[in-house]
Amino acid sequence: MKTKLTLLAFALSCAAAPAGALDFNFGDIGKLLDTVTKVKDATTEIAEPQEIELGEGVASNLLGAAPLLKKPALQQYVNQVGLWLALQTERPDLPWRFGVLDDDNINAFATPGGNIFITHGLLQRMSSEAELAGVLAHEIAHVLKKHHLEAIKKNARTSLLTDVAAHAADRKGRNPAIAKLAGAGTELYARGLDKDDEFEADRMGVVIAARAGYDPYGLPAVLQILQGIDPGNSDFALMFKTHPTPSDRLGLLDSLMSNGFEGYDARPNLAARFRAVSGPGKKP
Amino acid sequence: MKKLWMIGLLIWCGAAQAAETAYLVRATELKSKPFADAETVATLAEQSQVEVLARQASWMQVKAAAGTGWVKMLSVRLGKPGAQPAKSSDSGLGKIFNLATTGSSGSTVTTGVRGLSEEQLKNAQPNPEAFKAMQDYAAKKDVAQKFAKAGQLKPEKLDYLDASQAPETEKQGDQ
Repeated sequence: MKTKLTLLAFALSCAAAPAGALDFNFGDIGKLLDTVTKVKDATTEIAEPQEIELGEGVASNLLGAAPLLKKPALQQYVNQVGLWLALQTERPDLPWRFGVLDDDNINAFATPGGNIFITHGLLQRMSSEAELAGVLAHEIAHVLKKHHLEAIKKNARTSLLTDVAAHAADRKGRNPAIAKLAGAGTELYARGLDKDDEFEADRMGVVIAARAGYDPYGLPAVLQILQGIDPGNSDFALMFKTHPTPSDRLGLLDSLMSNGFEGYDARPNLAARFRAVSGPGKKP
Repeated sequence: MKKLWMIGLLIWCGAAQAAETAYLVRATELKSKPFADAETVATLAEQSQVEVLARQASWMQVKAAAGTGWVKMLSVRLGKPGAQPAKSSDSGLGKIFNLATTGSSGSTVTTGVRGLSEEQLKNAQPNPEAFKAMQDYAAKKDVAQKFAKAGQLKPEKLDYLDASQAPETEKQGDQ
């Protein structure tokens, strides 16, 4: 009831509310509540500037859990691969940034607004740029589809979302509600997304890699590498917990790529360029 | 730099040559070359065991009882037939790769605290300096385009795959 009242008050004060909501009469309360529900949905729609600010907050938190790998040439290289992929998508103008985390875990993350991370542990298990592109394209797809943003919204208190939306109007300085939401949102990375979001990102990832001119079998190749890793390996624990099994993911791509993906066998995988930058060394 | 590249090449070859036990999820034609119209050396049965030698786009070079050749990579799963997921923690191309890179077992499993554990993520504090550093590494569009050109990456238009696409259907479509 409290939520409803808050929403009602919000609807009445909200300039964006349909004009009809403002001249209601009490005999039509059911219709009004319908309108309020619609207003709530509309206002909790987080606009792109807030999506970006939220994503930066989450990215900053993730960097608090694991630092960036101190290898500028590799960081720049991953950014070039990543941006080239992102330019082939429907959101080419987001502030896309890519970071290699100095961590032995095997994982990759995306935050709203275009921040993508890959662990050094995963990178070291790859052998070509096409494989890197496959993983980055999967993460880019999460951003395009706003998977994390939607999951964060789903788990957040309505009042917090209302604050985020309300604060968006004045556009002055950082939004404290967004910082709070980013804090709560970071936990999502320990729980993971819905399986369907992961499958969707796989489906889109192979297409984005193909659009960018890569051998699109890079993503399935990485899934195959993951599929060969013992799920009991602690480096793999979080990824294994937060994603469908590599076997299930391979099964999906197997059925989707069996037709229409034969014409790509001559595509470059740029293994030499990848190895030249990623280097053979493992950190001590 | 050149030296690094050479080392990289050596390791790449090493990884590619390291055989990995795998099996086939369906009956699969073993081809003499990685092309659909190449000569069929043999037809390998579902669940038959192979050793993976290399991957090339959608093809995997394998050594089977019937000989060495190429099969579609998505017909292959790593590990022993009937035992999935793989049991040994030494399995996986990655571990073999680590062996090649470090000359040691490549094992990192026993290290105590991990940066990206569930616990660490739940208690993570913001690191704005690191985020600033990450922003500084971001690429510019023209740089990314030059980079792609140098790698002979040619962009093309392609629709996303339809979610409702069943395993047997073949049409691609918009989401």
